[in-house]
Amino acid sequence: MLDLLAAGFGAVFSAQILILMAIGVAVGIVFGAVPGLSATMAVALCLPLTFTMGPQAGLSLLVALFIGATSGGLISAILLKIPGTPSSIATVFDGGPLMEQGHGVKALGIGIVFSFLGTIFSIAALMFLAPQLAKVALRFGPHEYFAIAVFSLTLIATLSTGSMVKGLFAGALGFAVSTVGIAPVDAIRRFTFDFAELNGGFAMLTVMIGMFAVAEIIKVAETGRTASQGKARSVSMKNIKGFGFSMKEFREQIPNATRSGFIGLGIGILPGIGAGTSNIVSYIISKKRAKNPETYGKGNIGGVVASETANNAGIGGAMLPLMTLGIPGDTVTAIMLGGFLIHGIQPGPLLFISQGPLVYTIFAALIVATFMMLFMEFYGLRIFIKLLDVPKHILLPIILVLCVVGAFGLSSRIFDVWSILLFGLLGYGFVKAGIPPAPFIIGFILGPMAETNLRRGLMLSNGNFFAFLQNPIAAVFLGLAVAFILWHVYSAMRVKKSSVDQILRT
Amino acid sequence: MAANKKKELIIGAVMLAVGVVYLVLTARLPSHDGIDATFVPYLLATTLCVLGLLHLVTVFKAPQAVEGTSEEGEGAPETISVKTVIVTLALIAGYVALLQHVGFLIMTVVYLYLQFLVLTPVTQKANHIAYAAIAVATSVVIYFLFREAFDLLLPSGLLNF
Repeated sequence: MLDLLAAGFGAVFSAQILILMAIGVAVGIVFGAVPGLSATMAVALCLPLTFTMGPQAGLSLLVALFIGATSGGLISAILLKIPGTPSSIATVFDGGPLMEQGHGVKALGIGIVFSFLGTIFSIAALMFLAPQLAKVALRFGPHEYFAIAVFSLTLIATLSTGSMVKGLFAGALGFAVSTVGIAPVDAIRRFTFDFAELNGGFAMLTVMIGMFAVAEIIKVAETGRTASQGKARSVSMKNIKGFGFSMKEFREQIPNATRSGFIGLGIGILPGIGAGTSNIVSYIISKKRAKNPETYGKGNIGGVVASETANNAGIGGAMLPLMTLGIPGDTVTAIMLGGFLIHGIQPGPLLFISQGPLVYTIFAALIVATFMMLFMEFYGLRIFIKLLDVPKHILLPIILVLCVVGAFGLSSRIFDVWSILLFGLLGYGFVKAGIPPAPFIIGFILGPMAETNLRRGLMLSNGNFFAFLQNPIAAVFLGLAVAFILWHVYSAMRVKKSSVDQILRT
Repeated sequence: MAANKKKELIIGAVMLAVGVVYLVLTARLPSHDGIDATFVPYLLATTLCVLGLLHLVTVFKAPQAVEGTSEEGEGAPETISVKTVIVTLALIAGYVALLQHVGFLIMTVVYLYLQFLVLTPVTQKANHIAYAAIAVATSVVIYFLFREAFDLLLPSGLLNF
């Protein structure tokens, strides 16, 4: 393993890839920091740039964007008191007050250092767990894959914000949209309305760009003219030693950070939920376990540590099911999956056998990008703060042009550009109706996997569905999916506000 | 909260309608005995319809809609400008429609300039010179960057270079 990792570092340490990754981390931090732009958007918009690169360079760039964008959210969370991404919501609770008390640099320094530690921890866990899981997954057949896809889909649909009915609807609709095109197994054309362009179905990237980027622009058009944009306050970096906090403060936070790291990793591994949930959960637990819970929310660094460690620990967590099973854990890894496929690489257990060196190149890229993030984010703060002031009415139209370029770049046809507009409208409709978009995306991506494996499994057992229940692993996952829905219905019956809800409201 | 309940009822109706349309489309697919390519679509169509109905029934039975009362922020201070949304959509549609024939360079400049104007906050004055400069610079940089660095030929249209 060590020699493979060394070879991976060897591949990453080329001038071209290092420059690409530095740009990737910087762009990622900007997308994370600017409220309204997200990690999903950053990866989706930059994916077309990687088409002409080799898989090593392309995937390193995507990984760098992912890491930069996940941690960038803390900048606006602390300076503007607006979370740049959902994964930094809990950072605002204590980061905002710290800034107001004049400890802005300390809050930022702590946030960045613990983001770094959380990421490194999760990458170490990923490197340790992924090969083991891949070995187990090698024995999986269509029955297991179908069950895991259904389980993942149920999980994301029930756990995403809003009502479960809407979440499930979004998941099923995403699945339905994925059935457009030539059907698996018997190759019948479905729902193509005689558009030859639809034979291959809608491209994953057009769905993503539409739902996340174009929809966001339409949303801003709604309120942008009257909404006031927060102005980022500047922080003085004079007389700052190290990262702006003392060793004593660091030592005191180690138990809190360790716990938050495990929470972030665990929630990150589960398909469907990720950093957006784990930062809040670990904040709540950290507050409960703290010696002085009453200071949380008034500027306790523990709150920033909990939130930032957990959300970044989700990176390694989300990469785990993606690399070993080909199942994306959240929307960002869903686009990463697209990135793998475009470069002709099928993530899954075989990846570790057929593409061993590439896997370790990705691990190495993750580690290098994490170190880049640590130094660039702290010492480049002033530049990122400046970028927060770029007016939205200038920024978003430019992003839209990039969306158009990205969609066109897929296969040089205007059809794909119309698709992003279509999905942009759909995404906007989702926002208006309070339907979460994430289950739609995961449904769209896991749909073909579920359907193909269902059909294959049924062929293997001569159309007998009970074969799925006789297979122990498949039965467990299908059982869990059913149990999850039942549990959710049960808890919805007794309307009781959870502590997460209360925190979110305050 | 009557408005909220009405809104949720409309959402439920749309959900149901989507399910029904998908069901009708599925029924028109060629099929044969046993498990075929229509099996999963039928399953999905049923699920969509059931979920739509479920939402309608839940909202209808609820004395006042529980959904979204906290997060949707009824009567929030932010005013929603339908006009800006429609103009923005029209601009994007026009941009895409003319992209192939007029070309990326010209259409991007036109689109960006107009979109900047449309989205300019009411409290600010539009800075025409800056807008035009940004629009031209963005268009040129993207066009040549993609052409030279990423081997992507964007539609050249009327300007042939």
